[in-house]
Amino acid sequence: MSSPFTPVLDALTRQRGVRASLVVSAADGITIDSNLQIGQDGSRVAALAASLYRKARKSAAAAGLGGTGFMQLEAETGRLCAIGGEEIVLVVVADRSANVGLIRVEMLRAAEALA
Amino acid sequence: MADEVRLWSDELARDPSSLAFLPLADTLRRQGQLDLARKVATRGLERHPHNPDAHDQLARIHADQGDLQAAFDEWDMVLRLVPGHVGAIKGMAFIRFQQGRLEEAERLLMQAQGHTEDSDISAAIDTVRRSSGVSTAQVSVADLPSDPHLLFTDILANDQTAMLLDKDGLVLAGAYYSADGRNVAEDVGANLSGVSDEALRATKHLGIGAWRSILFETEAAVVSLSPAPAYGPAAGGLIVVAATPSTPLGLLRRLLDRCIARSTTWLSQTGIGGGA
Repeated sequence: MSSPFTPVLDALTRQRGVRASLVVSAADGITIDSNLQIGQDGSRVAALAASLYRKARKSAAAAGLGGTGFMQLEAETGRLCAIGGEEIVLVVVADRSANVGLIRVEMLRAAEALA
Repeated sequence: MADEVRLWSDELARDPSSLAFLPLADTLRRQGQLDLARKVATRGLERHPHNPDAHDQLARIHADQGDLQAAFDEWDMVLRLVPGHVGAIKGMAFIRFQQGRLEEAERLLMQAQGHTEDSDISAAIDTVRRSSGVSTAQVSVADLPSDPHLLFTDILANDQTAMLLDKDGLVLAGAYYSADGRNVAEDVGANLSGVSDEALRATKHLGIGAWRSILFETEAAVVSLSPAPAYGPAAGGLIVVAATPSTPLGLLRRLLDRCIARSTTWLSQTGIGGGA
């Protein structure tokens, strides 16, 4: 079953090294739509990513830095990328070796399409 | 991942002398359960004191815990058991890099490169050389500014700022100037330190290992955070670098590397980190 988000998620998941892409409710971290590889726990990824992004947004706002756009967490074996607004957050989980520059460009494009 | 922990734990319970402690400790480490991972690895080593993989695993755990010297010693033991062990050499290079001993780090990486064709090693050598080339980041203790607020001043442009925070978000060094010229480092630090707690939680649950950096773009700045060098009051803290939104992200990452190197020098050579 496809949703209005399906083409965006499909385009993101086609990027090399991307393991999961999700559209998540910014307020509560609930998955709206997702494209996951086998073995990914979508609800957990959604909740954690939304929480991290929310925290970054609040911190940036409190620090007087204004609205937050693209965010990337780099860890030992993977990356978590997010971009969003008041209502939804677009999340990508990727391998460490993934080209984050390409993923960022694709996410910025997707965020515009979803706005 | 919980299934893996159960699987390896069951196997270890059935046969305490099995090598199941290796994947068990590794899984726990990736989950961020570092104390438990260390106990499992240490107990395994009691039964297998000459197993290089066990020493390697314990070294990784020490490194994640910020106990750099213990990690270095374990990797040194791996090298004694398996001369030319590339993983151990890379690990030791990583420790030396973290300690700001860049020449040693480069020498070790060159040594590792002689044993394998690993593109990661070439990239690591480039990183070390970039950091070494930045002579302003690696200065002698006599050249360090006496005012901690000025620690990063000479390696940053006017529209860039950096600070070193302790685990509570309090400023150890550096500054953060607002558009109207006020130093708002304490406010910004207190707010941003919460992001690292969230990152720790996320990486632990996602099983993607320890977090290395967070970068986010805002209207007023592009900000990059990294765990602070694990010295004294900086252990568990953060390095924050911010620049104007037009700053290329690759440049920001390089600035972060330079600030990490500068912080390491400052903490290790001034005695603030307890190392001198």
